[in-house]
Amino acid sequence: MNSMNQIETNMQYTYNYEEDEYMTQEEEWDRDLLLDPAWEKQQRKTFTAWCNSHLRKAGTQIENIEEDFRNGLKLMLLLEVISGERLPKPDRGKMRFHKIANVNKALDYIASKGVKLVSIGAEEIVDGNVKMTLGMIWTIILRFAIQDISVEETSAKEGLLLWCQRKTAPYRNVNIQNFHLSWKDGLGLCALIHRHRPDLIDYSKLNKDDPIGNINLAMEIAEKHLDIPKMLDAEDVVNSARPDERAIMTYVSCYYHAFAGAQKAETAANRICKVLAVNQENERLMEEYERLASELLEWIRRTIPWLENRTPEKTMQAMQKKLEDFRDYRRKHKPPKVQEKCQLEINFNTLQTKLRISNRPAFMPSEGKMVSDIAGAWQRLEQAEKGYEEWLLNEIRRLERLEHLAEKFRQKASTHEQWAYGKEQILLQKDYESASLTEVRAMLRKHEAFESDLAAHQDRVEQIAAIAQELNELDYHDAASVNDRCQKICDQWDSLGTLTQKRREALERTEKLLETIDQLHLEFAKRAAPFNNWMEGAMEDLQDMFIVHSIEEIQSLISAHDQFKATLPEADGERQAILSIQNEVEKVIQSYSMRISASNPYSTVTVDEIRSKWEKVKQLVPQRDQSLQEELARQHANERLRRQFAAQANVIGPWIQTKMEEIARSSIEMTGPLEDQMNQLKQYEHNIINYKHNIDKLEGDHQLIQEALVFDNKHTNYTMEHIRVGWELLLTTIARTINEVETQILTRDAKGITQEQMNDFRASFNHFDRDESDNLHSDEFKACLISLGQVGNDLQRKNGLMDHDDFRACLISMGYDLGEAEFARIMSLVDPNGQGTVTFQSFIDFMTRETADTDTAEQVIASFRILASDKPYILADELRRELPPEQAQYCIKRMPPYTGPGSVPGALDYTSFSSALYGESDL
Amino acid sequence: MSNYSVSLVGPAPWGFRLQGGKDFNMPLAISRLNDGGKAARAHVGIGDVVLTIDGISTDGMTHLEAQNKIKACTGNLNMTLQRDVKTDW
Repeated sequence: MNSMNQIETNMQYTYNYEEDEYMTQEEEWDRDLLLDPAWEKQQRKTFTAWCNSHLRKAGTQIENIEEDFRNGLKLMLLLEVISGERLPKPDRGKMRFHKIANVNKALDYIASKGVKLVSIGAEEIVDGNVKMTLGMIWTIILRFAIQDISVEETSAKEGLLLWCQRKTAPYRNVNIQNFHLSWKDGLGLCALIHRHRPDLIDYSKLNKDDPIGNINLAMEIAEKHLDIPKMLDAEDVVNSARPDERAIMTYVSCYYHAFAGAQKAETAANRICKVLAVNQENERLMEEYERLASELLEWIRRTIPWLENRTPEKTMQAMQKKLEDFRDYRRKHKPPKVQEKCQLEINFNTLQTKLRISNRPAFMPSEGKMVSDIAGAWQRLEQAEKGYEEWLLNEIRRLERLEHLAEKFRQKASTHEQWAYGKEQILLQKDYESASLTEVRAMLRKHEAFESDLAAHQDRVEQIAAIAQELNELDYHDAASVNDRCQKICDQWDSLGTLTQKRREALERTEKLLETIDQLHLEFAKRAAPFNNWMEGAMEDLQDMFIVHSIEEIQSLISAHDQFKATLPEADGERQAILSIQNEVEKVIQSYSMRISASNPYSTVTVDEIRSKWEKVKQLVPQRDQSLQEELARQHANERLRRQFAAQANVIGPWIQTKMEEIARSSIEMTGPLEDQMNQLKQYEHNIINYKHNIDKLEGDHQLIQEALVFDNKHTNYTMEHIRVGWELLLTTIARTINEVETQILTRDAKGITQEQMNDFRASFNHFDRDESDNLHSDEFKACLISLGQVGNDLQRKNGLMDHDDFRACLISMGYDLGEAEFARIMSLVDPNGQGTVTFQSFIDFMTRETADTDTAEQVIASFRILASDKPYILADELRRELPPEQAQYCIKRMPPYTGPGSVPGALDYTSFSSALYGESDL
Repeated sequence: MSNYSVSLVGPAPWGFRLQGGKDFNMPLAISRLNDGGKAARAHVGIGDVVLTIDGISTDGMTHLEAQNKIKACTGNLNMTLQRDVKTDW
């Protein structure tokens, strides 16, 4: 009960104390001089165990804490073991003062360690005062086991507590707030063990409900593995309301030392590891740096030559490939390297920083790998790059230009070569040697054209050469072949020039020669043609068939011939001149070895022709002479014939004339009866017949003349024809005249015209026959008619022979209506043959006709009109009715249809029919 | 003896008298001209012999045939004639 109360009080008390626990332990110890028996028990156990844990290192133990330390020897030993320092030598004696001295040594030592021992004397210890001893041990423990604990700047008891808290933080079911109640469930201890050595304890299997088990387990493990003796009594701890703080602290401090030490070691190891790690890391970084630097430098070392390579490529494609590679390099290969470099720098900086931070000396890269080296190398790289890129682009430009130029060259060269192909052959032709002038001229024209073509090409050749030059300058890879070709072209060009010149000269020379020849030919032609004509004319003339009809003619021919002969020498001269022209031509041809013919294109006249003709001419001349002379003789003969004929004709002609006149006169002079006239005429006739023989003779002469082909005769105006015609006319005239008279006789007898009338007619006729031709011209006839009208009057008055009606008709026909038309009509009657004259007979006929009651067309028409009842047409029925059937049919058949006004079907035109009967139609 | 041609513009009458024919044994000739008639204006002469009518020769034509031929010309009358030239022996 007491104890219970005490406990309560103590409990209360110590609760208060808990709060002040962080105050100095000394004060607490001072106040609490009473020791709780439970605590005492616990302390005793715990401290003993603790001391033994140290003393066993010295090979000794204590069993009873208040007894075994009484001589102070073990105490000193304990202190030596704990501190590791040597205490002053203990007094070896058993006397109380030896013991006290030893204990004092111990206490002094403790005091020298900065512990203020209050109210603990050596005597109490020697005397075995439990409380004092426990207190002293506690002081020792506090000082040597707990005081030095430092956890995160917190030390001693707080530090220990902190350490416990920290270590048990992860354990939810552990909550360390103090060094008494918090440890009751034993989990704290287990947690501490598990925290540091999880392999020793399976914490998850522990349970709050088995505190004793937990504590024992912990102590067991600690003893076995951690070399910490069991210092607590599990039941005591669990069963006491509040375990002894000091005991707990002591035991826990052992844990601390065990783990913290381990931890320290761990920390140290960590530190070392860290340091080492840092070192290693640094070394690694340095190695890495070195490695990277090496690699990078190596890479740069490899790359720079590639970038500095200025080996030109031949083709643009190769160059493009290079550019592509470069691009690849820039895009793919360099960036990682840039990054590497960057990384290197970073690494370097990091490394340096790390080294500096960790107090190491700065990193000095090995020779040639220093930052400056790398920077330098990198710079060189980049320069090389730039240079390379520039070079690439330049090269590509150059190659492009080269390729372009090369292609241009090829093209132009090809074009030129094509053009030039065969030209040399053409120029070497000798075609002009056998060509004509026009052909040569044409060749010259063509050549001119060629020359200008050549000139035009001069440019191009120069261009080609210029391009070749440029290709050379630009260092074209195939410059050799280009130069070759260019050279060939140039050589050929020169040769073309030379050949052209030569050909020109040859052509011009040939042209001149041909012109000369041409001129000669022209000259030849100019002269040969007329000469040829002359010769032909001469030949013709010399062979000319002449017909001459008079001596004069032949004589003129002879003189002409003589004149001709006079021109022969001159002609010969001309001939020779012409021939010499041809010789000239041949000479030229021969001396210039021209392969043309000497034939003259302007003239068909050849030299041979000229020669032969000339010979002919020469032959013909004497021939002509001869024939001319022959002719002359003949002409003379003809002349004789002419004269003979003329003589006769000149007699006969007039005789005939005379006779004609006589006959004419006889008819004109119509005195006496017709019978008398007849007789006279018969007489004439007789004369004429008798004269015939003369005509015959003349005919004979005429025949001769004609046989001699004489067609003219100037000796007489009378031709045979004249005579003949005259003779015949005479014959016919006499016959006609006789006939006329006969007719007159008949007429007279028939018509009952009296001789007087006949004489009147005759008188009138003769009056108007002014020219006494026994024919009246139309105007004479007209006048005659007119006069006869008067004569008619006279006649009527005189003898009343003409019928009244007849005469009227005569008047009408001769009086008023003597217009031209009417007169022409009359003329056509009296002169049907259109001779323009009216013979007396026809005049008589006309007169008689006019005065006779003869049918005229008008009368017939009038008759038809009566039958047609005054219609201008007649119908077939009417004809049949009025006329006998035969005549009617004749009319119907012959009459044309009437187409005039008022025509009806079947109308017949009797007017035109009638006039047609008389051989007259008015149209 | 000169020949000439006339082309008288129709229609009829033509203004001339035709005389003769094979049946009369006389040449087909102009025997009369009307004053101012078409034939006269065309300088046809009296006594001129008609050689062709409308291109057809009058050789052997009877008077009636010739008359009909001329009458058949409805448009122009084309004739060739032989002018009567006076001869002097």
